[in-house]
Amino acid sequence: MAEKGYSVRRLPGFGLIAVLTFTMLYLPIVILVFFSFNAGPSQAVWDGFSLQWYEAAFQNRQVREVSIRSLWLAATAASFATVLATLAALGTTRGGRFPGQTMIYALINQPLMVPEIVTGIALLIFVAAIKVQTGYTGMGYLVAAHTAFCIPFAYLPIRARLETLDPALEAAAADLYASPVQAFFSITLPLLVPGIVAGFMLGFVISLDTVVITEFVKSAGQDTLPTYMLGQLRRTVTPEMNAIATLFLALSLIIVTAFFLITRTRGR
Amino acid sequence: MDARVQDTTVKGEIDITGVNKVFGQGAAAFHALTDIDLSIATGEFFTLLGPSGCGKTTLLRVIAGFEQPSSGSLRINGAEVAGLGPNRRPVNTVFQSYALFPHMTVAQNIGFGLKMLGKPRREIEATAAEMLRLVRMEALAERRPAELSGGQQQRVALARALAPRPRVLLLDEPLSALDLKLRKEMQSELKRLQTETGITFVFVTHDQEEALTMSDRVAVMSAGRILQMGRPTEIYNAPVNRFVADFIGETNFLVLPVAQTEGDAAHLTLPGGKRAQALLPDGMLPVTGADVTAVIRPEQATIVEPDAGDMTATVDSAVFFGTDTHLHLTLSDGQPFVLRRQNRPGQQPPEPGTALGLSLAPGALRVLED
Repeated sequence: MAEKGYSVRRLPGFGLIAVLTFTMLYLPIVILVFFSFNAGPSQAVWDGFSLQWYEAAFQNRQVREVSIRSLWLAATAASFATVLATLAALGTTRGGRFPGQTMIYALINQPLMVPEIVTGIALLIFVAAIKVQTGYTGMGYLVAAHTAFCIPFAYLPIRARLETLDPALEAAAADLYASPVQAFFSITLPLLVPGIVAGFMLGFVISLDTVVITEFVKSAGQDTLPTYMLGQLRRTVTPEMNAIATLFLALSLIIVTAFFLITRTRGR
Repeated sequence: MDARVQDTTVKGEIDITGVNKVFGQGAAAFHALTDIDLSIATGEFFTLLGPSGCGKTTLLRVIAGFEQPSSGSLRINGAEVAGLGPNRRPVNTVFQSYALFPHMTVAQNIGFGLKMLGKPRREIEATAAEMLRLVRMEALAERRPAELSGGQQQRVALARALAPRPRVLLLDEPLSALDLKLRKEMQSELKRLQTETGITFVFVTHDQEEALTMSDRVAVMSAGRILQMGRPTEIYNAPVNRFVADFIGETNFLVLPVAQTEGDAAHLTLPGGKRAQALLPDGMLPVTGADVTAVIRPEQATIVEPDAGDMTATVDSAVFFGTDTHLHLTLSDGQPFVLRRQNRPGQQPPEPGTALGLSLAPGALRVLED
């Protein structure tokens, strides 16, 4: 076994680097979760097990409010982004070659390449101008900004899925008397579902997570969970934040697990 | 489906006249098909044969409706279909990749065409069951394509394309993904299906043996043109030019001087000085003394005693093929010659260096247009 072939295991220090990397990735999270169950108010001294910080988080009206806003915003923005990303993916893979195709890819993926802070400041100026002109200060700005920001994250898995689909499938449907609309709804769309679900979930998580975009775009009273937590951290840090973060983590894990299960069973 | 223009001068199931297909424009234009004229009779097993890039698949896609011809006319059962999409033509295709719908069962795949035609469910189910019987796949109706072997997927693809009872079935190299044994099996299976259903088959392949064994007629294509069209025996025995002679089967090309011409035949001077009669292509009148290229198949020469035959040769090597042996020879003037001899029990191949006499079958030698 050890004699044949190339194995990274035999590179000196490989195991050590791996262990260090995983420690850096997960130890802080483990500590965060650990102290969310602390009976005392400290992040460093263990005073025994308690669920009091979870209780505090659930009873905090502001936490409930911003959590619901965050979830609503993520669901709305991810839905819009998924529809737009599906259309974009179809246009760029099923529309035949057209001039400027590579440019279009780059433009769709702008949020992946332009630093988030630049997008944030640009949005701040842009949105401010519209606010002055129209007087509208509702959630529309956040929905629009999050949608635009989520599109590339939704686009990538949908396009990847489309590219693995044999174009002969659509040709076969047309050959078997399906109109273009029938071929889309009976062949392309059902086969695209795993990509669409993956795109939606990625978009949802990204929207739930983003601080910078929200911070620059939101009007008064439009805090999401991340911007609320950031605000709280400027004051005193109690394990209540740990409890909220832990719940947040649990939600992400559920989504990622669901995503994994869906792509595994439907991905064939 | 749409019989818009009924022509009373219908010749066949498919009539293609003056079809051209050009991809791209200007300097980058690529002529995939040039002046294709073709008529395929009802119930015929017609094969488009040629190397990859010869235009055979493009022609199939033009018939199916996936590509529209740049010019020319395409009639199916007398109705002009140029300009119509694939969903409006009474033809179905068996794809090289099979293109089975992975999210549907075998039965749903087979019923798809009838469903799109708006047939009642009872009829769809009955036809699907009948098609499954036809391709001997009754037991696997509820399987998904991913759970089938390559040969089984091939049968489902056939059943799916046959289910709407098309006037014409188009097959795009359907056997190329199968291993040799399965391919032989499917060749006879295809022939059986064609005979049983009476549907016109248009079959695309680059495998000349497949074309010769299965087809009623073959069109040999190269560089977007049809070079020769005819029954397999005609194509094999009387290739019109060097390309066809070379592509179909094995051939010896001999450059020989013309001794004299006489009607549609010429007497050529063989290496060693003896003469042999060779058929001339239509309208060719070579000058006496000029060199022409003549072809003869490896099985059309037999070994005789040295000096007793038309030519003499020495053996370079012998390759054993089971049913026969290929002898690689050098003629007395240095030209190579391959001879195929059927093996008999106890017969040993001649040693390299042995001198042999070759006798040519009458009518086997043909002059090619160059």
